[in-house]
Amino acid sequence: MKIRGRGWCFGDDIDTDQIYPGKYLPLTDKTEMAKHAMEGAEGGMDFIKGVKPHAVIIAGKNFGCGSSREHATVAIKGIGIDIVIARSFARIFRRNAVNTGLAIIEMDEPTRIKNNDDIEVDIITGKITNYSRNEVYNGHPVSPLEMDIMQAGGLLEYLKKMC
Amino acid sequence: MKRDQTMIEKIFSRASGKDVFAGDYAWLKLNLVAMRDFGGPNVVQEYRLAFGDRKIFNKDQVAVTFDLHIPPRDEKVAVNQQLLRQFAKDQGAKLFDVNTGIGQHILMESGMVKPWDVIIGTDSHMNLLGAVGAAGFGMGTTDVAGAMYKGSLWFRVPETIKMVLNGTMPAAISSKDIILHILSVVRTDGALHKAIEFTGEAVLKMPFHDRITIASMVTEMSGEIGLLEPNDSVKDFLDKHKAGPFDTLTADNDGIYESIMEFDISKLAPLISCPHSPDNVERVTDMKDVKVDQVFIGSCTNGRYEDLASAAGILKGKKISNTVRMIIVPATMEVAMQASNAGLFDIFMNAGVVITNPGCALCTTGHPGILAPGETMISTSNRNFHGKLGKGASVYLASPATAAASAITGYITDPREA
Ligand code: SF4
Repeated sequence: MKIRGRGWCFGDDIDTDQIYPGKYLPLTDKTEMAKHAMEGAEGGMDFIKGVKPHAVIIAGKNFGCGSSREHATVAIKGIGIDIVIARSFARIFRRNAVNTGLAIIEMDEPTRIKNNDDIEVDIITGKITNYSRNEVYNGHPVSPLEMDIMQAGGLLEYLKKMC
Repeated sequence: MKRDQTMIEKIFSRASGKDVFAGDYAWLKLNLVAMRDFGGPNVVQEYRLAFGDRKIFNKDQVAVTFDLHIPPRDEKVAVNQQLLRQFAKDQGAKLFDVNTGIGQHILMESGMVKPWDVIIGTDSHMNLLGAVGAAGFGMGTTDVAGAMYKGSLWFRVPETIKMVLNGTMPAAISSKDIILHILSVVRTDGALHKAIEFTGEAVLKMPFHDRITIASMVTEMSGEIGLLEPNDSVKDFLDKHKAGPFDTLTADNDGIYESIMEFDISKLAPLISCPHSPDNVERVTDMKDVKVDQVFIGSCTNGRYEDLASAAGILKGKKISNTVRMIIVPATMEVAMQASNAGLFDIFMNAGVVITNPGCALCTTGHPGILAPGETMISTSNRNFHGKLGKGASVYLASPATAAASAITGYITDPREA
């Protein structure tokens, strides 16, 4: 399965409070939540104003560290992000992404991708194509077990289909 | 030949029906899924959204416990508890209402937790069940909702740190001092996403209530699961609570651990964790100029009968300082009855202590006993983050003995001098 979109770059150690600031935790409406995706990160406001549907977030190491917040993955999905590429994901964020059906993939040198690059990810094989630079990278797909859940649209969707 | 396994890997292998090792992903069959009055209402909402009124996987393996705001302190909490009560009734799940006590303790006392079990729940301190030799996980809303429906859940087998506790516990030292010592070495992020297996002669000799204290504070090292190798005290506890038979659990000789740490507990002195982080640990004797306004004994970490008895041993025939308020809260109703029958409540009341109903009590804000800005409390619970018990208040964490000794003098006090 392939996902294609324009890259939007962030740095290392983006924690869940930058992805979804704590003051919005009481929100429950997904559309409202999406309006605050990445708001606490550097350049977050520009992102919220400028991001188009089917964009790809590119980030450094340890994306989604800090407190466990399913809001973080829900907001990112809601604002139109189809996949997050990072050097690494914090364990709890990774679990939440899988459980809420947000596609994620790790790659060793995410800084090779620049803002607005045209990116295509094959989430199964891990092949990442950068059409803007004519480069191909080898990403590290999630485990097959996680892939099944992610592709079903999240844990509850997956379980509904299974049983 | 089969590769040797850690206890965690053995538990995961049995629950997934195939041999798994650290780093593997697997679906695990769950023995029990628990939710509580905090977090539980969100689980019910998500469950209903996804599965409507479809039945939970097994009504005998889903438990609802009320332990945080009991009885309800405001309408919102009352409505949440009403929602959970209704859900438990509709689904036939086991409900432990406001008259029972702290969830994890209640589950153990109900004989619902055995060695080898895999259990998830909404509380951050589910790993306390490692006192029995079960793998307990605190999980998010989606996981708990899914698990209630399916009875199994996906996991990554965590890497494990083996902690070997050697030596004999000195008198006047409790397992709280041991775990604070370990915490001061490992620090609050030292076991991030890892499992911890405790073993060694001190663990094999350790009484059950002390095992609970150790297991409960694995969360403070950011551990995912913590478990103690089961010993005779576990068998006695489970027999008493009619849990039924269970298999012994030990690690293989050559299982692969991420690291092995050894601790000699025989020379420990009473320790205290200072504001505002559990790993900010000092010797009690070095903190004795600190004045305390309130003392709390209880929580899932130190709310057992023996914890109360240790405090009673110090408070017997004495009065607490007239500048101190002291609150004691048994972990469960069973503990409260035992304390009452043994005359502990008389000792406490004579000393000037406030006793409240079993539950989590002063583990978080929202329970009677909240602090004013600038005030200081010694607590036997597990966390002392900034603002956790009132804005601008300071919380120290210590053993029941240290807490009781400090209540008498009004200053942080080494229980060996009480
Ligand atoms: S006492 Fe605190 S940490 Fe323990 S179960 Fe209750 S709320 Fe959780």
